[in-house]
Amino acid sequence: MSKTNHSARLTTNMQRARKLLLLIAPLMGVTVFLVSWEVYVRVSGIRPLILPRPSVVIGHIVEHPAFYWKHGSFTLLEASAGFFLAFFVAVFVATLMVHSEFMQRATMPVVVIVQSMPVVVLLPLFLLWFGFSPWPKIITAMLFTWVPFVTNALTGLRSVDTSTHELFKSVNATRWEIYWRLRIPNSLPYLFSAGRVCVGLALMGAVVAEFFLSKDGLGHTAYVAYSRLLVEQLWGSVIVLAFMGVTIVLLLNAVEQKMLYWHPSQHERNHPAK
Amino acid sequence: MAESSLVLTDVSKSFQHRDGFIHALSKVSFNVRKAEFVSVIGPSGCGKSTLLRLINGLRTPDSGSIVVNGLTPDEARQQKKFAFVPQNPALLPWLTVQQNVSLLNNLNSRAGNPGMAFSDQRQLLKRIGLGSFLNAHPWELSGGLQQRVCIARAFALKAPVLLMDEPFSSLDEITRTDMGYLLLKLWEHSGSTVLFVTHSIPEAVALSDRVVVLTPRPGHVTEIIPVPLSRPRQVSMEDSTAYHQTLTEVRATIAAECSS
Repeated sequence: MSKTNHSARLTTNMQRARKLLLLIAPLMGVTVFLVSWEVYVRVSGIRPLILPRPSVVIGHIVEHPAFYWKHGSFTLLEASAGFFLAFFVAVFVATLMVHSEFMQRATMPVVVIVQSMPVVVLLPLFLLWFGFSPWPKIITAMLFTWVPFVTNALTGLRSVDTSTHELFKSVNATRWEIYWRLRIPNSLPYLFSAGRVCVGLALMGAVVAEFFLSKDGLGHTAYVAYSRLLVEQLWGSVIVLAFMGVTIVLLLNAVEQKMLYWHPSQHERNHPAK
Repeated sequence: MAESSLVLTDVSKSFQHRDGFIHALSKVSFNVRKAEFVSVIGPSGCGKSTLLRLINGLRTPDSGSIVVNGLTPDEARQQKKFAFVPQNPALLPWLTVQQNVSLLNNLNSRAGNPGMAFSDQRQLLKRIGLGSFLNAHPWELSGGLQQRVCIARAFALKAPVLLMDEPFSSLDEITRTDMGYLLLKLWEHSGSTVLFVTHSIPEAVALSDRVVVLTPRPGHVTEIIPVPLSRPRQVSMEDSTAYHQTLTEVRATIAAECSS
C-alpha cells in the first residue's frame, strides 16, 4: 500500500516538475540566447558599434523605461490595429470566397497582387492619402498580415469533414448554420496558426512604416538611432520589439490552448505521448 | 400489407468522370414498408452509398422516382424526415456528447420536427451506457462509444426514416455485434424505417427483415431476400438453421452476380 502511495506521489511530483519546466522553457531559451551573445561579444572583443553587449542594451532600456514605453505603445497600438483589421477583412473575404466560386475566382488575383506588392514603395502614397496620422502605419501592418490570414481562413472554412457536411445537409441546415456551427469552429486552428505568423509581420509592418512616416514608435526610434549612430538605442528598440512579439505570441498560445481544447494539437500538448 | 415508407422506381444515376461516364446505378426499384428494417448489400462500388444520397436528396437521380412517405426526397429532407448515419461518426469535437446528440434537433428549426426532448435524450444516453459520458468530448471516447453517440443522435431526431451508410465498418467484430443489437433494441422501440447499407452479409442477415442484393456497377437489384427470423432478435438466433440458410442464400446470390 505504502509502495503504491509512494509511486503515486513520485508521479505527481514528476508531473509538477514537468509543468514547471515547460512554463519556464521560453525564459530559459531567451536566457541562453542572451548569455551566448554576451559571451561572444566579450570573448571576441568585437567593437560595441558593430555589436554591443546585451547587458549594455538592457541597461539602456532599464535606464529609459518611459522612452521605450511611450514609443513601444505607439508601435503596439498600430500593429494591433493592423493585425485585427487584417483578421476581420480576411475572414469576411474568405467567407465570400467559400460560398461563391465567382467570388473565389475574382478575389484570388487580388490576393496575389497584395502578396507581391512592394508595400514599402507605396508608403509615400499612404502619407499623401492619410497624412501623419496612425492610418498609414495601420494600413501597412494590415497589408503585411492580410494574405496569411486570408489563405488560412479560406483553407479552414473549406476543409470541413465531408461526412459532417453531409450530416448537416441531410437535415437541410441553412448556410448560416453550416457556417457558424461547422465552418467557423473548423477554421480556428488555421486562424491561430496564421495569427502566430502575423504577430511578427504586423510588428514589422508598423515598424517599417514608422521608419519613414512617423515621429513616434520603435521604428522611428530605431531610425533616429541608426542615423545618429546611437547603437544602444538602436538595439534597445530591437529588443523591446522582440520582447513585444514574444509576449503576444505567448498570450496567443494561451488563448489557443483555452479555445482549441478539442483539437489534436492541444491533446498532444496537454497529454504528450510517453 | 403495410404502407410503404420508401418507394424507388427505376432509379438510375451516372457521374461524369475525366475518363467518361460512370454508371453507378441502373433502374433500381424496391419498396421499404413502414417500420421495416431493410439492408442493402453488394460488392464495393455498386452504388450503395450513392443510393442513400439519392434517397435523402443530396443527389438527384438521372431518371426514375423516389418517394419518401408520400414526399419527394427534397421535401422530406426539408421536413427533417431523415436521420442520416454516415460511415464515420461525424461528431463535432468541440461539442460534448450531450451537445452532439442535440445537434440535429437544433438545426433547421423551421422544419417542424423538434425531435426528442432534452430530458428524453439524456434518458436515451443513459439507456445505451453513456450516462457517465454526457459532458465528455468525442475524442475522449473509444470508437465504439463514439458510434453509440452517433446512433443516439440519429434516434434523438425522431425521424421516420433512418439511412445508415455502413455505420459499423470501422469497428472490431465484437463491438460491431454489440452495436448491431443495440441498434435493433433502439429501433424496435422507435417504429422508424431503416435502410441499412453494409458490406457484411452476417450483419445484414442478423439485423434485417429483408436484404436487397445489388449487382456490381452499375448497381441494380438482383434479388430481395426475406430473412425468416422472428423479432426481437437475439444473438442466439445466429446459431439457427434459418439464419445460416439465409446467409448461404445471400452469399450465393452475390457470388453468382460477381462471377457473371
